[in-house]
Amino acid sequence: MSDPLLEAPTQTNPSHTLALSQKARPYLDSRPWYFTTLPYPLSLFLAPESQERWAASQNLFLASLIADDLPVAYAYLEDITERFGKLNERVMALQGLYQEASAKDTKALEDVVKNYDELLKTDPTLMAIRKRRVAVLKGVGRIADAVGDLVLMLDASPTDAEAWAELADCYVSQGAYEQAVWCLEEVLLVMPNAWNMHARLAEVQYIQSQKMSEGSGEQLKTLSESMRRFCRSIELCDDYLRGYYGLKITTARLLAILEKVKKPPTASSDLVAGDLAPPKVATVYKLNELATAKLAEIVRRSSAEEKGWDGYSGAELKAAKAMIEKDTQKIER
Amino acid sequence: MAIASIALNVIGVIFLSHAVYSAYEHSLLPSTSASPSSGSYLLSVLDPKVNLPVDITIETLVSVVLLCAGVVLSSANLKPIQWNVWAGNLERSKDARATKEVGVGGGNPYAALEERSGFLDIRGEMKGFAEWKNKGGEGRIEGKKA
Repeated sequence: MSDPLLEAPTQTNPSHTLALSQKARPYLDSRPWYFTTLPYPLSLFLAPESQERWAASQNLFLASLIADDLPVAYAYLEDITERFGKLNERVMALQGLYQEASAKDTKALEDVVKNYDELLKTDPTLMAIRKRRVAVLKGVGRIADAVGDLVLMLDASPTDAEAWAELADCYVSQGAYEQAVWCLEEVLLVMPNAWNMHARLAEVQYIQSQKMSEGSGEQLKTLSESMRRFCRSIELCDDYLRGYYGLKITTARLLAILEKVKKPPTASSDLVAGDLAPPKVATVYKLNELATAKLAEIVRRSSAEEKGWDGYSGAELKAAKAMIEKDTQKIER
Repeated sequence: MAIASIALNVIGVIFLSHAVYSAYEHSLLPSTSASPSSGSYLLSVLDPKVNLPVDITIETLVSVVLLCAGVVLSSANLKPIQWNVWAGNLERSKDARATKEVGVGGGNPYAALEERSGFLDIRGEMKGFAEWKNKGGEGRIEGKKA
C-alpha cells in the first residue's frame, strides 16, 4: 500500500500536487496538542518520533507552496524549523524556498539572493544554499551567471551528480550541446547505472546530430553514439518506453543517412580516442525492427490494461502509438 | 503447486511424527533395547544402545525428504535480483513504484537527476501550477518535459 503523503510533488504530476495541497490543512489541524506545546527535545517524551512525519511535512510544505497557500506552508516551515533548528542546511534551503515563493517583485527576489550571499560568506560550504542561488538565477533568466556558479560549485564538489545534470540542462537550454554531452557523461561517471540519464544523453546527442551537416562523418558518428546510448538504457531497464522510442527514431534516421553515404567508414575514425566505427546497415535495421516490435507490445499491453502494465505515462504511450501508426502508413504506401 | 506443497508438508509431518513415536516405543521394549553389539567403535557413553529396525530409519529419511521438498516448493517466489528486471518492473507498474515508507519504494531512484529537487524553480512551478489549475486541471503542465 502506498502512502501519498510520502511522495514528493513533481512537475510531471500536478494532480498529485493538488491532492497534497488539499490535504495540507487537515493534516496540520490533526497534529496532537502535545506536538505543538512542547519544544523539540521535551516533545520526545510525549510523542514518538517518526521519519514519516517529517517526510510528509516536507512534501506538504512544498505542495502548499506550489499551490500558493503561503500561510499553511509557513506553519509547516515553523514545525520543521522548531524540530531541526535554524542552522540545519536543509531547513535553510526550505526557508529560502519560502522567501523566494513569497517575494512580490524582482526587488524582493534580489534581496533573497543577497541573503544567500550573506549566508555563503559566513559558510561557503552550504551546498543547499548554493543550489538555491543557482535556481533563482536560472529562474530569472540569468543563465550565464547560473552556469558560472555551477562551475564554481562543481570545482569544489565534482561528485555532485545533481549539479552536473543541472549544468547540462543549462547548456542544453543555450544550445551548447557539446558541453551538455560532456556534463551528462560526468553524471554517468558518478552514476553509471542511471538508465534515464543514458537516455537523456542519447536525446541530447540526437538533437546535436540534427544540427550537423547532412551525411557528414561527424553526424554519422554522433548519431550512432546516440543509438548506442539508447541501447545501453534498454539494457539497463527492460521495457523502457523512452529507450525504445529513442532507438526507433535514431535507427530510422541512421538508416536514411547510411543509404545516402556511399561508403561508410568501416574502421574506427580515430584510433587514439578509440571510438567505434558506425554500425552496419543490417544491424541498424534489426534494431529498428526490434524497437518497433517492442513499442507495439508495450502499447498493446498497456492499452489492454494488463496487470502490472499501468505504469507508463499516457502522453508517452500516445506518442509511441502515433509513431507506430505513422510507420505502418509509410509501409502501406 | 500450492496444494501439492501443502500435501507434501502434511504427509511429511505425519510420517516424521510416526517414525519418531515408533522409535520411542521401540526403545521401551525390554527385549530389543539390549545393546546390539559389543564391538562398537563408539564410546560406551555415546552409544544409544538401541537396535532400531530398518523400516523406522527408512520412514524417517523419507519423511524428511518429503518435508524438504514441501518447504522449498511452498516458499514465496524469488525477488528479481537482476538490475534490468528490477528497473523494468519500476517503469512498467505503478504498484512497484509505490512509496511504502521513508526510503522504501518510490520508483526510479535516478529520477531525482531529472527532477533535481535541490534546484527546484519554485516560482516557475507556482506559475505552471496556477495555469494548469485555471485550465481545468487536466493532463500535465505544458512546457515541461514529460
